[in-house]
Amino acid sequence: MSLMHKYLSLAGAAAMSVAVATGAAAATKIEFMFPAPVQGKLSREMQQIVKEFNASQDEVEVVGVFTGSYDETKVKSQAAAEAGRPPAVVLMSANFVTELWMNDQIVPVADYMEAAGVDPQAFIQEFWPAVRPNATINGRLYAVPFQNSTPILYYNKDHFAAAGIDEAPETWAEWVEAAKALTLAEEERWGLMMPSNYDYLGWIIQSLTMANGGQFYNAEYPGEVYFDDPSTKGALKLWRDMAHDHKIVPTGVTDSKQVSTAFFSGKASMIVLSTGALSFVRENAPFDYGVAFIPRNVRNAVPIGGASLVSFKGLDAEQQAAAWTFIQHLTSKETLGRWSRFTGYFSPRMTVYEQPEMQEFTANNPDALRAVEQLRFAKPWQATYNTVAVRKAIEDQMQALLSDDKLSIEEAANEAQQDAEEIMRPYVERTSGRIM
Amino acid sequence: MKRTEPPWSARQRRRLWSALALALLCGLAYLWATPFIWMTVASFRPDSFGGLDMASLWPDTDFTLDNFVLAWESGDFPLWYANSLIFVTGTLAVQLVTISLAGYAFARLRFPFRNTLFYLFLLQLMLVPPVLIVPNLTTLVRLGLYDTLVGVMAPYFASAFGTFLMRQTFKTIPRELEDAAVIDGCSWWQVLWYVLLPLSRPGLVAFSIVSVVFHWNEFLWPLMVLNSPDKQVLTIGLVSFALGAEGASEWGLIAAGTLLVMLPLLVAFLAFQRQFVNSFVFSGMK
Repeated sequence: MSLMHKYLSLAGAAAMSVAVATGAAAATKIEFMFPAPVQGKLSREMQQIVKEFNASQDEVEVVGVFTGSYDETKVKSQAAAEAGRPPAVVLMSANFVTELWMNDQIVPVADYMEAAGVDPQAFIQEFWPAVRPNATINGRLYAVPFQNSTPILYYNKDHFAAAGIDEAPETWAEWVEAAKALTLAEEERWGLMMPSNYDYLGWIIQSLTMANGGQFYNAEYPGEVYFDDPSTKGALKLWRDMAHDHKIVPTGVTDSKQVSTAFFSGKASMIVLSTGALSFVRENAPFDYGVAFIPRNVRNAVPIGGASLVSFKGLDAEQQAAAWTFIQHLTSKETLGRWSRFTGYFSPRMTVYEQPEMQEFTANNPDALRAVEQLRFAKPWQATYNTVAVRKAIEDQMQALLSDDKLSIEEAANEAQQDAEEIMRPYVERTSGRIM
Repeated sequence: MKRTEPPWSARQRRRLWSALALALLCGLAYLWATPFIWMTVASFRPDSFGGLDMASLWPDTDFTLDNFVLAWESGDFPLWYANSLIFVTGTLAVQLVTISLAGYAFARLRFPFRNTLFYLFLLQLMLVPPVLIVPNLTTLVRLGLYDTLVGVMAPYFASAFGTFLMRQTFKTIPRELEDAAVIDGCSWWQVLWYVLLPLSRPGLVAFSIVSVVFHWNEFLWPLMVLNSPDKQVLTIGLVSFALGAEGASEWGLIAAGTLLVMLPLLVAFLAFQRQFVNSFVFSGMK
């Protein structure tokens, strides 16, 4: 918009507001907080989307606020809300929604939809069934999924060919066999690498547990986890044995950045990373790579990851309407399609894949469809009372198992379960036998 | 009885020990410098991943400035430099005034509960900054300073550490000097300005350096207060293009960006190396 045009429209708006005496300002200003998703250039693309939205209409002016990591985004938005400046729209890690609801800090997006005459049920029907549970609480839609992912297996096809492996492993047994064949100790090459830094680690353990037939946590009741169940122990054991007995994955803590770097430089033949890293892998892998489902022991199953849009309590009616206008724009088929193609995240909205641009894109990049195919097996992400602390309880034990080959699975799993129960005790007490 | 000569003379032994100590110190210095060396090498390395050994500390034969160009283009560095500079110098300017006055009051003036007040003031040092995020933000919102650079500076205006440092420095200055100035007709502020402050230069320099380095590198608090992209400071700017949450990272770009962020401090350090080291020794901070 030219400066002249802007002045004219401002003047026009002012004249109109005087004329009808509604006192409406030229544009409702709202804040949109977003974290760094996969890599830096995505933050710039996000600012670009905000800029284009602001230029496309006159009613809403969005200030795009970069807020660091997923965890920092949570801290900042909660602190701002408590200080009396609630952000209108926040791109929040999908498994924090439950906790924000428990803290009574967010408004159901369904409220905005109903105020705008949109049926929330019909709206969410267009989204993949797997992304709905993390956005819904007690049947009410609190968040709108925006960028989603699942863990997925990336593999180096050159290494596979050299080791005489034709197909990506589908079961845990095949996985271990393949990783053994691919590991070359003298070249410091690992058969498999998985990230074991905080946040990523909990997600991967959940993935392995679910592939082992387990539930990991109670998706219905946020005060219960199953860290000492056989299914979880089996997952812990798989990874621990791969590190200490078979020596096909590194011991100690491996950061997700090390994982991608090792893959690109040929120091890891298979890696487990988010589907959100797909574009990054496509642009940087200097060899032919493949993408496959996470191998199963009992069943194919993966947790959902990524982030959803939420809105905080304490906005006035105008800001709420503006927030919905912007959420609607972000979750439109056009924006979601563009974001998915740019990032590698799959689009949470099914109908995006029917669009011509998306069909052309997936025809040229069939690996992008692997993440979508795996969605049939996707389940919600661990969301409990005090999610981060509960997640760390099992992460600490897995890290200990990877570092210490004397530690027993039994001991580690029991410790994780006890710690988690201790952390969730306030919620459990609140719900057991006491009237709230 | 025949005395046996020791295999080495005392002088040789001394030399051996000092050589060993030197070797040990070199080893330690190398250990400490490794991240910096790696970062410098990585920022000039052409391909962040490829076949090259990216963990190597040895520069590659190929040399490129691409990473710096990319980093510079990825962000609005001139703006971030300006904002960081405003934040750091603005904070320091106010701090120097407040800590001199408060330090003077606690060191020289007599008023009831002076020591109690001083210890209460020092309690500030015991608080972990994250605890104060919400209360401080609330105050800023009420004052209308949320999302402003002044808002980022505000909580640091009254520095407990600086006040403590100035009080101790003033206390080491002999009273006689002040008395002489008073006899010559100086008022209290003239005593402070012409006598105490010039003599406290080491303390002021020490505090300034500690303050500038701390605020230049600060991340969490500016992240909490600032929203508008045109008010961001360097640390947040760097993270906004270098952070990868889901496992992606462009090492060369991150290394180059980090070098750009620390460059002014690095230049200042090389220029005032002596004062830097003295100030950390003086203030007892690391």
